[in-house]
Amino acid sequence: MTRFWDTVAFRLALGYGLLAIGSMSVIAAAFYFGTVGVLARSTDAKLVSVSQRLADHYETRGGEALRQEVQQLLADGIEQDTEVYLLVAPDGRRVAGNIYGWSMATAPPGSLTDLAVMRNGRPSLSRLLPRLLPDGSMLVVGRDMQDQREIERLVWHALLLGGAVALVLTIGGALLFRRQLEHRVSAIRRTALEIEAGDLSRRIPISDVEDEFARLNRDINRMLDRIEHLMDGVRHVSNAIAHDLRTPLGRIRSRLEEALRPGNNTAQLAGTARFSIQQVDELIRMLDRVLQIAEAESGAHRQSFTPVPLAAVVSNVVELYDATAEAEGITLISEIEGQPVTMGDQNLLTSALVNLTDNALKYAGSGATVHVRATQDRDTVSMIVQDDGPGIPPAEQSRVTERFYRLDQSRSLPGNGLGLSIASAAASLHWGKLELEGAAPGLIARIVLPRAATAVPASAIPPEMLPAATDD
Amino acid sequence: MRCLVIEDEADTARYVCNGLTEAGHTVTLVRDSINGLHVATNERWDIIILDRMLPGGVDGLSIITTIRNLGKTTPVIILSALASLDERVRGLRGGGDDYLTKPFAFSELLARMEALLRRGATKEDSRELWIADLRLDLRTRRAERAGRPIALQPREFRLLEYLVRHQGQVVTRTMLLEAVWDYYFDPQTNVIDVQISRLRRKIDKDFSPQLLRTVRGTGYMISADD
Repeated sequence: MTRFWDTVAFRLALGYGLLAIGSMSVIAAAFYFGTVGVLARSTDAKLVSVSQRLADHYETRGGEALRQEVQQLLADGIEQDTEVYLLVAPDGRRVAGNIYGWSMATAPPGSLTDLAVMRNGRPSLSRLLPRLLPDGSMLVVGRDMQDQREIERLVWHALLLGGAVALVLTIGGALLFRRQLEHRVSAIRRTALEIEAGDLSRRIPISDVEDEFARLNRDINRMLDRIEHLMDGVRHVSNAIAHDLRTPLGRIRSRLEEALRPGNNTAQLAGTARFSIQQVDELIRMLDRVLQIAEAESGAHRQSFTPVPLAAVVSNVVELYDATAEAEGITLISEIEGQPVTMGDQNLLTSALVNLTDNALKYAGSGATVHVRATQDRDTVSMIVQDDGPGIPPAEQSRVTERFYRLDQSRSLPGNGLGLSIASAAASLHWGKLELEGAAPGLIARIVLPRAATAVPASAIPPEMLPAATDD
Repeated sequence: MRCLVIEDEADTARYVCNGLTEAGHTVTLVRDSINGLHVATNERWDIIILDRMLPGGVDGLSIITTIRNLGKTTPVIILSALASLDERVRGLRGGGDDYLTKPFAFSELLARMEALLRRGATKEDSRELWIADLRLDLRTRRAERAGRPIALQPREFRLLEYLVRHQGQVVTRTMLLEAVWDYYFDPQTNVIDVQISRLRRKIDKDFSPQLLRTVRGTGYMISADD
């Protein structure tokens, strides 16, 4: 029983069944008192009224008339099957009647009593109302209750049988319900156990029936997809960090060891120290960026989101990079359409755009043109960096946002393959996404973000961030 | 200058103290927050360099709060291993004047310290700034050297303005990024160097003396004397 009691399905179904039985009992009770009860009460009322009528007859006409009346009633053939009358003289002598077996002791006068008597020579369960008349004689009026008792018995039987069937159905239903539910839950449990055992690729099979369980299973599967993706990311990052840490650490270590060899002069030592510092700084910078991604992915920043005008972000970034572009012989153009505003963290959005712009300038090559745009749509706003350089091969486009991923031909360039990851993490944090697209020639990198509610109060935007070109 | 260093970690403390002594400052080192609070409130200091997380039950930030509540305006630089922007904002709102993330280059600390120490010292003329024959008109946002106008973009003007306001001091790349571009992250590439060399071309190329100099391994300095 404990095993059954341990399942929600069984408890629920049983509880529900018992509730149903309970309410059925109430209905049955109402039915019972509405039928059998009414019948019994009307019998009692009739006995009282007949007894009263005969007593009145005695009052007005006297004892002899009463005797005749009783005999008349017995002989008239009406209610022959049920009527009970008995008239006993004060001295105990039986005057008239159709029952034997009554005495003062078994049914005292003035109250209704059920008594087993002999009526017309047959045993009968009768309801009797004895009445003491003024002269000391006793008038007993009654009704044979055999038929009514029969009805009561039938009703009781029917109710008991119905109750028993209901109880059996309830328990059976609870068991069936439990089995059904356990069947559905066991699919989830089996998958959970398999995942716990280490196979993160397992998913809960989705049944064809569209119900709560199908929806729950889909939600769980989606969650598992996400977890698996994150786990893969972590694994990839660990490998990449290990690789990207080991290389500079190895370089530093070998330079330091060389520096310890006897016979080195101060200038060589200083050179080694400078080299090491530079390498360590590079490592710190990489660590900072990994932390920045982690921070963005944790979503902790969302509480402090404010309306960010993308025009300000774009012009900031372009003003930061214009000298670099000039020096590289690249034309850097900023374009702003409308007044795109999104809810966000200006610093992170800027960082994301800086990374895209930096990539474009780094990979597009001298003579290229790089457009940095802020645009708005009906529901979205975008920051777009488009170059006409060599672009990314389509097969690699989905991989470049992975942390530390670098195209083979770019491994010689400075950087650590974190730029697009930062942009991608920042976009996700802002409920948006980073899209990469070939531009033939070149690459379009687009951060699509939800547009801030149109009713961003102008006062919420610092005046220096508003696009300057609005009122001329 | 009398410097108070409140730092529990021995290596960092030695690194900071040695550097400051070499730079000609008098340094007092305190290793825990209780003594730090005591010394910081009871003596007069020109600058306090304070670790954010200290042993002794009192948080570095609460030392600053206490000092500020006593009405002291002593400049405070916070050193912290907590790198996030939120922590930086918390540190600066708590009364810190600057926030430096560990690990840091000593030259960065020194440059920021000098900037803070001379903050009150430079006389501010609200209309124009001068260095040698270079004049910045703050109202029209125009610059000229030896009477010849120099075409500057707005951001270049801000960059030059910052450098001139800190003339004679070394300013680091991160200081420039924070002050001129409001960026609190490292854009990783040499954007600032490129910006500076373009600015240098504009203000120094056809003139003498050369005003804008690179301080190797640290940053830049604008000064009139070679």
